[in-house]
Amino acid sequence: MSDNKTESPKTELAGVAAQPTQPVEENAASRRNFLKVPAAAGVVAAGLLSHTRLSAAPIPSISIPKEIPETMNEAAKPGEFAGRGMSGAEVFAKLCKDEDLAAMFCCPGNYTVINAIAAAGIPSYGGRTEGGMCAAADGFSRVTGEVTATSGTEGPGFTHMIMNIAAASAARTPLLVLASNMQLAGDDREAFIQTGYQQPLTTGIKKYGKRIIDGNRVWEYGAYAFRNMKSGIPGPVHLDFPGEVARARFSDAAKLTDFYSKDKYRTESRAHPSMKEVTQAADLISKAQRPVIVAGQGLFQRKAWEALMVAAEKQDIAVVTSGPVRGHFPDDHRLSASMSPDALMSADLVVFIGQYCMPSPGEYRLSPDVKAIRVHPVQEDLGRNWPLDLGIVSDEQFFMEALANTLTKKKRDAWVNEIAAAKAKTEKTNMDHYGLGLKYSKDTNMLHPAVMVKEVHDLLYKSGVDPKSTVTGCGGWTSGLYAGRWLRANRPGQSVVCAYQFGAIGPDLAMMIGAGAAVQRGVGPQAPYKGAPVLCVTSDAGLAYSLFELDTAVKYKIPTICVAYNNNSWGMWPQASSSARSMHMYLFQENLRYDQLAIGLGARGEYVRTPEEFRAALKRAYDAGAKEGASTLINVQAIKEFTSAKNYPPGVNLNPEPGTGAIAH
Amino acid sequence: MLSITVACLTIAVSAQDKDGRMPIEEAKKLKSPVPFTRKSIAAGKNTFVRNCVGCHGADGKSMVDVVSDATDLTQPKYYKSGASEGEVYRSIRDGASETMPAFKTQIPDDKDIWHVVNFIRSLWPDSARPALQEDK
Repeated sequence: MSDNKTESPKTELAGVAAQPTQPVEENAASRRNFLKVPAAAGVVAAGLLSHTRLSAAPIPSISIPKEIPETMNEAAKPGEFAGRGMSGAEVFAKLCKDEDLAAMFCCPGNYTVINAIAAAGIPSYGGRTEGGMCAAADGFSRVTGEVTATSGTEGPGFTHMIMNIAAASAARTPLLVLASNMQLAGDDREAFIQTGYQQPLTTGIKKYGKRIIDGNRVWEYGAYAFRNMKSGIPGPVHLDFPGEVARARFSDAAKLTDFYSKDKYRTESRAHPSMKEVTQAADLISKAQRPVIVAGQGLFQRKAWEALMVAAEKQDIAVVTSGPVRGHFPDDHRLSASMSPDALMSADLVVFIGQYCMPSPGEYRLSPDVKAIRVHPVQEDLGRNWPLDLGIVSDEQFFMEALANTLTKKKRDAWVNEIAAAKAKTEKTNMDHYGLGLKYSKDTNMLHPAVMVKEVHDLLYKSGVDPKSTVTGCGGWTSGLYAGRWLRANRPGQSVVCAYQFGAIGPDLAMMIGAGAAVQRGVGPQAPYKGAPVLCVTSDAGLAYSLFELDTAVKYKIPTICVAYNNNSWGMWPQASSSARSMHMYLFQENLRYDQLAIGLGARGEYVRTPEEFRAALKRAYDAGAKEGASTLINVQAIKEFTSAKNYPPGVNLNPEPGTGAIAH
Repeated sequence: MLSITVACLTIAVSAQDKDGRMPIEEAKKLKSPVPFTRKSIAAGKNTFVRNCVGCHGADGKSMVDVVSDATDLTQPKYYKSGASEGEVYRSIRDGASETMPAFKTQIPDDKDIWHVVNFIRSLWPDSARPALQEDK
């Protein structure tokens, strides 16, 4: 047993649920006792005594203030034109409510707007950092496909969100980014504090943005926002609200420009494919020996997974999923090629559907000579990056339904067998690495990442837990790449690719807490699994960015299991191994106790170094999450050398794309 | 004849250094059993696309700063673990430095590794590249 373990007797303590709340009276009584110290004892003695008595007083336990559940359960109170009238913020909140905005994640700031949105009845969450809340909103949207909002104050709060707005942009998340922004009257004067030009800062990482400069047009620009997020290819929309807009007053709708209902300011009409093009695609697929569909996030956004299944099964077409969320074709299906990268290389036809973030040839394990069809809702993106044999403008769902109806039945036994063999090879490689990991763990008495993620896999998919229930996500370098190989997506919205394309290390935990909020509410494809815990595998490096949001998870009872791979370093430390004076920049203090930080934030904390310890801790964490709604951080102590291909082969290498473990496209 | 040569090579390279890699002196002595031909280069490119582009890029120049010390494969004079055909083979099969993983599991057939060696050499400047042989 290590010194660290013996120093951590409280690591199995339950979080909020098991910690009795200390009555405030006790402290008050202590202070009263202090006041009773006889004055004759002298000033110095009184000082010493007071110190002693205060130290001896019970430390108040972490507790959830009663105002949190009370105010969350209050009835909605949206603004009304009658009487006092509506503020600009309330007008905007009404539009958000009419548009079924799924949730908002924010930090205080932009007060008028966030209060109006919460009062309108939209599920709202307040957290610890704007960046974390932005990632949480992204996570909520990724596992539901719904528009979700994030908000921060002008200046510091808004700029803190930037990394995660960029991540959402790469993931094409329909994210509504809101921020207050001082007064129009202060523009160009550096008036008071926090003044800034926000819109230029989101250039390149948003689909649409606007500083609303006229209160009368707040509805009009709200409509712009939702039109952009709910039409074509989604993406973040950034609105900034000067005080003159948020606090404008309206006693009737006549002053508002374009005050139409949503069926007038946008349309649900979407492009249908021409039957000629569907027939062309069906012919190419039928003639191919080894066709594969790359099922991108557009298929998830448009909820086209049932039509995808029908089409794939009709002709034994292989399917590999891509995008920032996985599961719209199950990994455990016989036609899933998400774990069959070697088979992909022999595909003779690829059909990209809903692939918003388009790779270039060479980035996917597909032959340079493969024929390609791409189906996309927007004409101007067809032909970008990847040369096409057939480009089709269509909504993904309409195309899949048309294709499923057009294809005639066909068996491809040889192709199905090749996919199965390639999958078996991948599984064998994973098991080989697990075997090595077990040996390394035994040799070092530290937990190798291959063992860590195999244990997660076994708990979630082989232990009796419904293998479709737990939404997972992963991040970090060593931890993320290993975890990606073992986390499975067997139903829509089950697995979040936290680092998707933008490669941000760190927002993963906050993103998964946001995903957990969606599971708690049973939104969209999460409905059958309402209440299940979510699990995030992340790294010690990544934790720095969103560990504090464990407070948010506990506060809202979003059961989150955080498996924190602690190798005392940035996973990229080998880059410094041959460079003078560099290594110190890549290392942290060793054996840091993230589990104790978690306990300090009201969550459960566990510290483990062996497979047996980890297995038991993981089971306790899952049970506490499922039964009590508790969140847990498991500090998995490792060593940085596990990343080294030289000392502990195979070290770490990038996972094949597309499929399980892919992060780039 | 080719199969005999490959078999001999397998025996010759069975020795390992303390890192589990082929000793560098043995690697330097290795000679490729696979001629530098268009077919071999194409086969090597196919394997390269599957396994190598994440760090070295499709053009082999390793310009993506995901792995900052990934070798620019187009410049053999800067190779850190040797640029003889045997040393390149060793780097692929057994890994190199801290970050280059061993690919003997992913590329189990020795011939495929030699095809990758040939593809990599096809990226070199004319002055460093071996003479192209006719396909048989």
